[in-house]
Amino acid sequence: MIVPVSTILGLSAVLFGIGVFGFLARRNIILMLVSVEVMLNAVNVSLVGFSHHLGDVRGQVLALFVIAVAAAEAGVGLGLVIALNRNKPGAAVADLTELKW
Amino acid sequence: MAAASIASALLAVTRKSPVHSMLWVLALFLHVAGIFLLLAAEFLAAVQVIVYAGAILIFYLFVVMLLDLPDEEVRPRFGNHWPLAAAVGLAFAVLAWVARIETPGPERMASAGVPLGSLSEVGKVLFGPFALPFEIVSLVLLAAIVGAVVLARRRPAQS
Repeated sequence: MIVPVSTILGLSAVLFGIGVFGFLARRNIILMLVSVEVMLNAVNVSLVGFSHHLGDVRGQVLALFVIAVAAAEAGVGLGLVIALNRNKPGAAVADLTELKW
Repeated sequence: MAAASIASALLAVTRKSPVHSMLWVLALFLHVAGIFLLLAAEFLAAVQVIVYAGAILIFYLFVVMLLDLPDEEVRPRFGNHWPLAAAVGLAFAVLAWVARIETPGPERMASAGVPLGSLSEVGKVLFGPFALPFEIVSLVLLAAIVGAVVLARRRPAQS
């Protein structure tokens, strides 16, 4: 099945924009991390779209690496969230003002 | 499929309850896996379902339920200048759209023989030219594991 690459790029751009909006608009640190995951997924879509378009498998390998890095990011980010939560319950970023000078 | 993924992404970033948001992100990931299938990337679709939908989402859900998050309260979200910022962002999006239309895309290559994205093809490239980055990714994951354990460990009661 032939999927035009411009459609895939448009979808990827829209998903990335939604991720950016979510990252800026959410006030909950876990949902901000999830928005980052949405952005990484958008990048994966565009990588796979180019891989399909150019007939080259390397894009898919790069997308695999992106997935691995996303898993690492989720692990470290949620570890941070748990450590923060031990100091101060709740996950609203507006409450984290200890570093504010 | 694209419309469904955009809709679920929008719902995911606008729902108030974190758990509902997670479930919409799950729907988004499954739809993206379907798009990968349409793009002849079967292995990546499987990895998407297993790693993203299976592992990462469950991990996030565990943390959400562990912390017992309340619904997001309504607060003033942006500063006073947000219409200007939104206008600049929209202008940039329009500019990118125009540039995308003007630019001729690269020529589509004729794929020969083995279907693209089959497991053996991906594996050959992954363990051939990309063997060193593969090992580096394993190091990154190891560092992430150690970092997460160090961060989330309960401090010994000393001070």
